[in-house]
Amino acid sequence: MQTSNGIDRLPASFRDPAGFLFLKNGVLYRQINRAYHQQYTRLLDSGLYRELVGAGLLVRHEESDQPPLEAEVAFKVIRPDRVPFVSYPYEWSFGQLKDAALVTLAIQKQAMKFGMILKDASAYNIQFSQGKPVLIDTLSFDLYEEGKPWDAYRQFCQHFLAPLALMAYRDVRLGQLSRVYLDGIPLDLTAELLPLLTRGNLGLLTHIHIHAAAQKRYAGKPVKRALRITSTALKGLVENLEKVISDLTWQPLGTEWGDYYDCTNYSDHSLENKKALVRKWTDNVRPDLVFDLGANTGMFSRESATSGALIISMDLDPAAVEQNYQAVKRKKEFNILPLLLDLTNPTPQLGWNLSERDSFHHRGPADLTLALALVHHLAISNNIPLPYFAEFLAGQCRWLIVEFVPKTDSQVQKLLASRKDIFSSYSQEGFESAFAGFFETIQAERPGDSDRTLYFMKRR
Amino acid sequence: MHLIPIPYLDPGSGSLILQVLIATLLGIGLAVRASWKRIKGYFGRKKSTQEEEDADQQRN
Repeated sequence: MQTSNGIDRLPASFRDPAGFLFLKNGVLYRQINRAYHQQYTRLLDSGLYRELVGAGLLVRHEESDQPPLEAEVAFKVIRPDRVPFVSYPYEWSFGQLKDAALVTLAIQKQAMKFGMILKDASAYNIQFSQGKPVLIDTLSFDLYEEGKPWDAYRQFCQHFLAPLALMAYRDVRLGQLSRVYLDGIPLDLTAELLPLLTRGNLGLLTHIHIHAAAQKRYAGKPVKRALRITSTALKGLVENLEKVISDLTWQPLGTEWGDYYDCTNYSDHSLENKKALVRKWTDNVRPDLVFDLGANTGMFSRESATSGALIISMDLDPAAVEQNYQAVKRKKEFNILPLLLDLTNPTPQLGWNLSERDSFHHRGPADLTLALALVHHLAISNNIPLPYFAEFLAGQCRWLIVEFVPKTDSQVQKLLASRKDIFSSYSQEGFESAFAGFFETIQAERPGDSDRTLYFMKRR
Repeated sequence: MHLIPIPYLDPGSGSLILQVLIATLLGIGLAVRASWKRIKGYFGRKKSTQEEEDADQQRN
């Protein structure tokens, strides 16, 4: 929502009466309303804030002198640390969503020790920062009263347990349902889609199947008596959810590109040359933000990452993104964020008024984009004309490292094996003339013994 | 002054009822396990004390 004097109220935080986010001169602030003053004070005074921030579970903030946007209801204005790149559950791999779920439960357990409770359990409140999931909503905590059930139980099951169970037991691609159901996947749908055998899993039987049946049975009916849960029982519930989530696994096997690097068309020597070129050209640009499009498991993201920039390492294959994320965790590569993205149908604007969740385009452009071994997949497998590809990239970056893969390449031959070659303009000349309309070529090199060419370009 | 804001999430009747049911069962489970441990611990301790006494006797 645009107001006068350069202040924007962010369209993603309007549901919670406790406060909201706004931007002023590019700085992110959060107004805390008077209605939330007791909760905020408890969060800080109890030591919970310090505990969670210290453990890297909650985003850090400072109290600010910035005048509130709605003074009549305001209690305070805080300036939270900003996550470097916002991403969404439908862009995360299985492991990323699982880690986000476990962090949510860890926070809930910690909060209960300090007399507080999570009042919501939205996957959108979790973001990846420094390679790890972190809660970004400082206003997610409520005062815990002994005996009170957890209001966010349903939301937790819909946002985390349902997609994870579907990905683990039915098909990993069902994670994309989160893109349709922004408040989590309905449990009745989840129960219908899950295989019968999941009824034999006590956790899924209760939290999904019986849960869905209970929702149906009591739909629209008020709860007559005040329901109570002891704090021990609630802790038992949270620990049970923790176990159910931990037990869900998915192995990235039998992937489309799983063994792609083993059969690339470069010899070891040429591959090293290609890596060196990516490093050299990245260092020339000195970027803060790099997009690696079609990153596979992130081999070249890692070369670019030596510059210290934040690399958003994107691929459409859930197995590649998962492998990439596991490597990031193992090697503690805090400046690489693997994400799931289909370039032929990138994340659109979503939610209320199409402005709650940002599109991929709105989160760019990057200082530098890598598009390596990508052109043939778009131009030949997806019939994207080369000038369209060049125009798309020009919208995503200021600098570009792009690779041209000619028709003689065995990978292109594979793509053409099952279809008629209707791509008469797919040639090195066609590629160069398509890109010349949007980019100026700074350098072009063949990294070795293959026919592929690497270009370093600057947007016109 | 009304201090606690109105909960903004609808917990859902079915979800609430089920949650209470599961949590109560888990709570009972936890309590049973804890008392079982105590009982086992009690006998275990008694047994080990007996064993220690036997060992002491053998040493003497």
